[in-house]
Amino acid sequence: MTCLVGLAANPDSGKDIRRVAAGASVFDNQEKRAVLARCLAGIAAADANPSVLYLDDLRAIAYSAVAAAGVAGTPVAGPRYGNAQDTVHAAAAMREASCGAVISLGGDGTNRALAKGWLDAPLVPISTGTNNVFPGMQEGSIAGAAAALVASGTVALRDVASQVKVIHVEIEGEDGDIALIDAVATDDRFVGARALLSGDRLIAAVLTRAVPSAVGITSIAGLLQPMSDADDGGLTVEFTARGKPAQWHVRAPIAPGRFDDIAIADARRIDFNETVEIAGPCVLAFDGERERVMKPGQRAKLSVRRDGPRVIDIKSTLEVAAREGAMIFPTAEGVRHAG
Amino acid sequence: MATQPTDEVLLDIHRRMVRIRTFEDEAGRMAENGFIPGALHLYVGEEAVAVGVMAHLTDEDQITSTHRGHGHLIAKGGEFDRMFAELFGRVDGYCKGKGGSMHVSNLEIGMLGANGIVGGGPPIAMGAGFANKYKKNGNVAVTFFGDGASNEGAFHEAANMAALYKLPVLFVCENNGFGEYTPQRDHQAITDVADRAPGYGMPGVIVDGMDVMAVYEAAGAAVERARQGDGPTLLECKTYRFYDHVGRRGMGRTYRTDEELAEWMKRDPIEMFEARLAEQGVLSADAAKEVHEEIARDVEAAVEFAKASPMPDPDALLDDVYA
Amino acid sequence: MAETENGKRELSYVLAVKEAVETILNEEPDAFVAGEDVAGAGSVFGIYRGLLDEFGPDRIVNTPISEEGIIGLGVGAAAAGLRPIVDIMFMDFLGECMDEVTNQMAKMRYMFGGRATLPITITTMCGARNSMAAQHSQCLESWICHIPGLKVVMPSTPHDAKGLLIAASRDDNPVFVVMNKASLALTGEVPEEAYTLPIGEANIVRPGTDFTIISYSRMVHESISAAETLAEQGVDTEVIDLRSLQPLDTDTLVASVEKTHNAMVVHEAVRFGGMGGEIAAQVQELAFDYLDAPVGRVGAPFSPVPFSPSLEQSFVPNADKIVASATELLGL
Repeated sequence: MTCLVGLAANPDSGKDIRRVAAGASVFDNQEKRAVLARCLAGIAAADANPSVLYLDDLRAIAYSAVAAAGVAGTPVAGPRYGNAQDTVHAAAAMREASCGAVISLGGDGTNRALAKGWLDAPLVPISTGTNNVFPGMQEGSIAGAAAALVASGTVALRDVASQVKVIHVEIEGEDGDIALIDAVATDDRFVGARALLSGDRLIAAVLTRAVPSAVGITSIAGLLQPMSDADDGGLTVEFTARGKPAQWHVRAPIAPGRFDDIAIADARRIDFNETVEIAGPCVLAFDGERERVMKPGQRAKLSVRRDGPRVIDIKSTLEVAAREGAMIFPTAEGVRHAG
Repeated sequence: MATQPTDEVLLDIHRRMVRIRTFEDEAGRMAENGFIPGALHLYVGEEAVAVGVMAHLTDEDQITSTHRGHGHLIAKGGEFDRMFAELFGRVDGYCKGKGGSMHVSNLEIGMLGANGIVGGGPPIAMGAGFANKYKKNGNVAVTFFGDGASNEGAFHEAANMAALYKLPVLFVCENNGFGEYTPQRDHQAITDVADRAPGYGMPGVIVDGMDVMAVYEAAGAAVERARQGDGPTLLECKTYRFYDHVGRRGMGRTYRTDEELAEWMKRDPIEMFEARLAEQGVLSADAAKEVHEEIARDVEAAVEFAKASPMPDPDALLDDVYA
Repeated sequence: MAETENGKRELSYVLAVKEAVETILNEEPDAFVAGEDVAGAGSVFGIYRGLLDEFGPDRIVNTPISEEGIIGLGVGAAAAGLRPIVDIMFMDFLGECMDEVTNQMAKMRYMFGGRATLPITITTMCGARNSMAAQHSQCLESWICHIPGLKVVMPSTPHDAKGLLIAASRDDNPVFVVMNKASLALTGEVPEEAYTLPIGEANIVRPGTDFTIISYSRMVHESISAAETLAEQGVDTEVIDLRSLQPLDTDTLVASVEKTHNAMVVHEAVRFGGMGGEIAAQVQELAFDYLDAPVGRVGAPFSPVPFSPSLEQSFVPNADKIVASATELLGL
């Protein structure tokens, strides 16, 4: 069986305004390249003849890592714009090419863009961004090995992956959108520097997860009414920016190093496919970044379904591989991989 | 986080961007018509950077600029007539005809000079920031520089000292992808100048330099941080030069492709902002057109002023070498 | 501090400089000192020693080893209204900051049409002394004298150091105050009160009628010594201490040559391309008809400054070499 792994690294992750408006750290591109290099070492170790299909980002992070690794690599064809559209396009190409697993380097926004291009992609997300909920901090070599073990069929995807929930957003008169963690309406006028930094401008939110131990919008709901991705359905929260009276104030970390007391008017669970309506003027933010400007009176319908990326559990994958002896070779055969 | 900009602020931002664009286009024409001696580096395409930052500054705050400095001076409040006169080498220019395009400045509004030396500005802004801290006046010094200048030692010494002394300084990298005619990938191994910030102990931020509100928001946070005494920030704005390194259409057309230029021109900072303002009912297309026309008339009058201004008397040669 | 026989106060060169800086900082709240090791260490030469305790770290500012940054700090702070005193530890380190010196500090006023005023004082040390070798010993004043917009003074005595430093700080231009390491241990009469010496005026330190030696900085003392020897040989030698090299006091030089008809320039810097060439040319342009012989020049040989004490000694001009050159020039 072939082993084709998709690679997408977001060069812009870990560098937005939260570095100055809050206390976030810079994640530099040299480190992203090093993470990718370790992923490629893991891929090469776990399969005899792997190949990768990579997003040739405009900062050449993936290109330089692949070129140095000596793994057979093909860049995703087509134009690049230096924005999230590149990731959407690359994900669609990886689906077309039937990649057995996709490794993403970035934050929640990067994985959202990937899901826009390939909704149920088999994903190994590695966090190289700021206060992420979706990807975790992963060691690259092990993540790469897990991706290759799944992509080659050595470990079955269905045994080690779980499909996550997605918020589907229909926008009146325009293309729709999605979010993996939270979709928020804010009382902003511009997308601007994208990050959400003002607790007092929140209007309403729909969430797939409410994580009290996370940072961002999800923590506000999480400290009120926790919900994991394993729970069915979603949550909707109404804030007070449009004059609704506050029932509670939640002291939540809205950005790294920054706690705000957020006024909440209402919060409740919603079922799968239950629709929440939001009307403009407002700005819609998905997974922590302002993305769409809604005109006055323009409506958006939001609902939650479980049809998103199939996220590969790295720990389970290696445990299955261990049980099956996938990384053990007879002494006579020698070591088949480089090194 | 700064409050939402009022309509008045948005219209001011729009006007300042159009002022730069209109001035620069006319300067390009005037150079081609032989009115502007020397080298002319135009700021067209990068307007959102200067304006998004300058919208947060007063006349008391200082900036240092680059060889591509007209936009910074206009955004800081420079007057067309004195600027054209300077570019023409006339006596009524801001520098009495002694500076020209590469040195046009007005210290009275905190503009410490366009600078012909790549990387010349950051140490000076650092020094101005030192003075602000010394005098406890709450002012901020901003240095504009390019991706190319971030390879100069001067930038690194200034960044280190500004962070060391926690000076009220903002380092704004206008990364237009080229050091003169050399693409960024051929002049530095890194891809984001903001990556250098943590090495000096300051935050590094990247914003879309074609989106004036993105620059406005990020610069607002950085200026506020500086004014509060929390030290410098490196703000990298990804932008693009619509014209050539020198003039509108100069030499070296092979260093970038027409396709790349066309892609960036689709994201014209003024057109994108005007579309947003129209959508929000802040400025209709007709009203925007009127702004352009009014500013074009101002430019026309300024050019007439400059043409009428005499060349400096040869006796002025030795004036102002010393105080 | 000591008292001379006639009751006048004597100070070392180092303490005279310190006293000048104290005076400046006391009279001018916008003045401060910045440089490498100027705070705790009081500079490696001791010229700022004790000032940190007196004025605190806001006004006696230690910098990183970043000469371009130091000059930039001075330029930016001056443009924003302060009156900086910045220290470049060794004159040799000018190589690290010549852009800020040449293209920024020297030119801002002119290229901005007179709108910038840069009252910056730059203190630095020149001179071959104690085997500091090729990179810590040079006299590079001709570099900075060549740049329009800069002023350059090179005080030879404690008295002149105090007066010229205070004058430099009150001047609205960038002024280099270049001191010679070999002069730091000198003592001399220094009035206690604040005083200035006019920048651009030379000082006749030994009047004479037969021969003019034009010198500055450390070589003034060697020239005086040479003049005593020449006097014994019947040549009544006038010694002029230029004090200021930029601007240059040609009036005093011409007046002297009109009287003596013979002149020689003496400096420690390498002779080729040194200030001696410029001074000789000016004297010949302005007083050709009064000269009996070409203007002589004494300077160091065209060599990097050597390390070994014996070589260093043969590199630096001294009274004997001055006498020998003068003897030859005058055909004695």
